[in-house]
Amino acid sequence: MPPRTCALCANNRAMLKRPKTGQQICRDCFFYVFETEVHNTIIQSNLFKPGDRVAIGASGGKDSTVLAYVMKALNERYQYGLDLFLLSIDEGITGYRDDSLETVKRNQQQYSMPLKILSYDELYGWTMDAIVSQVGKKNNCTFCGVFRRQALDRGAAMLHVDHIVTGHNADDIAETVLMNIMRGDIARLGRCTSICTQGEDTIKRSKPFKYAYEKEIVMYAYFKKLDYFSTECIYSPDAYRGHARVFLKDLEAARPSAIIDIIHSGEAFEIRDDLKATQKAQQTCKRCGYMSSNDLCKACTLLEGLERGMANSGITDRARKRLDAEGPAPDNLRTIPFYQSPSGAASLAVETAPS
Amino acid sequence: MTSCGNPATEQDALMHRRTKFDKARVCIKCRENPGNVVIRHAVYCKECFFPMMAGKFRKTLEPAVNPVPDGPRKKGLKPAGNLCLGFSGGLGSSVLLDLVSRSYFSTYAGEDAKGGTDHPRNTSVWKKATVCYVEICGALPGTRDRTNEVRAVVERYKHFDFVPLRIEDAFDDAWWEMVGGRRPEAHFNVDLADEELPMTSAPAASTDSIAALRAYIASLPTQTAVPSTIQTLVRLLLLHTAWATESSHLLLGTSLTSLSVSLISSISQGGGYVVREEAQEEWQPTVHIGAKRTVRVNRPLRDLGMKECAVWAWWHGLDVIGKENILGGRQGIGALTKNFIVGLERDYPSTVSTIARTCSKLAPKDGADTTCVLCERPAQPGVQEWKARISIRSFDEPALVSPPPHLKKVLVPKRESQAEAAPQHSLTPRLCYACHTTLTSRSSRGSTSVSAHANSTPLPVWVVSQLGSGDGEQWRSRKMEESDMKASLAEFLLPDS
Repeated sequence: MPPRTCALCANNRAMLKRPKTGQQICRDCFFYVFETEVHNTIIQSNLFKPGDRVAIGASGGKDSTVLAYVMKALNERYQYGLDLFLLSIDEGITGYRDDSLETVKRNQQQYSMPLKILSYDELYGWTMDAIVSQVGKKNNCTFCGVFRRQALDRGAAMLHVDHIVTGHNADDIAETVLMNIMRGDIARLGRCTSICTQGEDTIKRSKPFKYAYEKEIVMYAYFKKLDYFSTECIYSPDAYRGHARVFLKDLEAARPSAIIDIIHSGEAFEIRDDLKATQKAQQTCKRCGYMSSNDLCKACTLLEGLERGMANSGITDRARKRLDAEGPAPDNLRTIPFYQSPSGAASLAVETAPS
Repeated sequence: MTSCGNPATEQDALMHRRTKFDKARVCIKCRENPGNVVIRHAVYCKECFFPMMAGKFRKTLEPAVNPVPDGPRKKGLKPAGNLCLGFSGGLGSSVLLDLVSRSYFSTYAGEDAKGGTDHPRNTSVWKKATVCYVEICGALPGTRDRTNEVRAVVERYKHFDFVPLRIEDAFDDAWWEMVGGRRPEAHFNVDLADEELPMTSAPAASTDSIAALRAYIASLPTQTAVPSTIQTLVRLLLLHTAWATESSHLLLGTSLTSLSVSLISSISQGGGYVVREEAQEEWQPTVHIGAKRTVRVNRPLRDLGMKECAVWAWWHGLDVIGKENILGGRQGIGALTKNFIVGLERDYPSTVSTIARTCSKLAPKDGADTTCVLCERPAQPGVQEWKARISIRSFDEPALVSPPPHLKKVLVPKRESQAEAAPQHSLTPRLCYACHTTLTSRSSRGSTSVSAHANSTPLPVWVVSQLGSGDGEQWRSRKMEESDMKASLAEFLLPDS
């Protein structure tokens, strides 16, 4: 059987079957279409303007490693005029984050991008290892998720950047659409397909890989010989999300377009007008100044529970009532440093790549 | 017992497992009889279960009976037309037929009537009721024809007319004329091997509708597309039958469980724009047929789970024939979704109702001014541009800002048949996202058996009718005869004398 020629250029020998379209294409055409689609996503959504300082949320995993590479390439090719930074969060999970942070440090040197690593320990006074030792493995993902989101914003504020880009890919977004429907979380369902989210006084956050398949990201890393760490969190993964992920993989196997089809569905609907009014208004946390729907933000609520030895108070209403019944928080309670809005001056020096 | 001891050494240290139903074993409703069934943590006795179920059914249906929905139910039920029931032979539709018959078509008459003459049970809310069954064995070779079994079940209910259809009727001009459509002047074939879905004029309609159906099914790009296509064809056959029988309501036996499955399945196939229609819709034919009216599609069992339906059928001794599994095997999106939802319901029991409740809070983002010619549901504008932007399938596309750097000259592969052909008309712009994806999305696992018809696939009659009707895009041309011109100006011309 003669080798197949690329379905796009009809010139080179096809090297791969593209997961997104099923087309058999050559390696160079794959690089080109992958990068161009990310560029189209950026341009269509007007994500950046020249001079923007952009932090790439870097975990050392495949998505953020490829994101850093592609962002640097596109910034140079299409002259976006961006100042790019790497921002990593160290959750404090022994044996999980150590190796991947090494990857991020290597990326810092390869791409000559300044790197900032912010740890949970530094910010909250608690590592995930310490949190798990108190709350167990059941609800630890709640702590990690809430703390990471806020840590990224705080790290970005320290770097004085305008924008954070994260490596969320099409599979992640499709999975989140399904999860939000199944959990009945209409507020998140309404915004989870937005490429860019920005509240008042918060740093713009966007997902340039919104339409990039996870398999294609792995394929890109493989052909570009980018090294990354693929490590599953050692603490129990979110079982419910795990079910949704398995279902999505089954759908993708049956019909590869299913991932994009779900995202298209998510973009096509919105919350009914009469229900929008019932959504909670955004305010700022009275304790730390971060955005919140209540008097205290979720991170402060969780941290107070940890500090007072009642970690579940941030998880269940019953535990919260028990905590409230014990009286107000003591004055010497450890709290999160007050949030400086991005308009403030950069408060930390950053590690720069050696020249 | 609230011991906090060591479970390894103390037997009592473990807490008792919480029972799945309420504390008592007595019926939650009458509080007298021992319970016979547990429905979502609540215990019911047999006597209380029936009115509870019938009440929930009526509470879902009745607000949608009058032409202006959600009005006060006390003012009486006055539907604008007749009633049509979609019957598949499955559990849901068997229970629906039984409930409709018991609730609205009395078997009592005259002085024996219970509840007075004005009670809904003793007067027919709808003047005429039809049960429509679509036999799908034509699309699934090797499956049996169940029409006679279904007929026997429906004939047990006195007040219903039985309308048996076959799925191949979707390609039959005679059926189309019977439901009020006009025999199309021209026929078209579509090339499903090309993502643009170019159309060509066909010399004449195929007289063999089953051959046309099988050619259509065989041309689909994946096995996954087959169940979705069968569902669309059955839905349109039912809707047109409801229209032809002057029905204002088409009732379907979709239970809460099946509704959640179909919602997730539809969203997984790109049907997010019509998520509202998946639960309830107002439909009228896209091609003008007769007076202006609508068919309201309602699913009165949507608040009742599969378990309640099964218990109702068992205690009433209903004969549930069963239906062919059209959701597809391991490769069907519907089958995968059903396995997922039913499995999830075991560990997270509220998932099914949460899905339906969440989806009822959604609305399409932008207004649609077009309708898909295939499924006749609202179609979102700009779908093709969106597809081209997010996945580049050719270096010809306008979304491409600069040529690939590794190629000095872009060589675009051309299919031989397309290279020198005259400009063709495409079905693509007239389809919604979900239908276009069903007809074009390919699988890395390979397609259905390669069809000789892929390049000239026949289309369902309502699609042909819309393409030839001049509604929307007009792309056929013919020389105007003098008589035609005169006819179009008739009301402006004065008589010669």
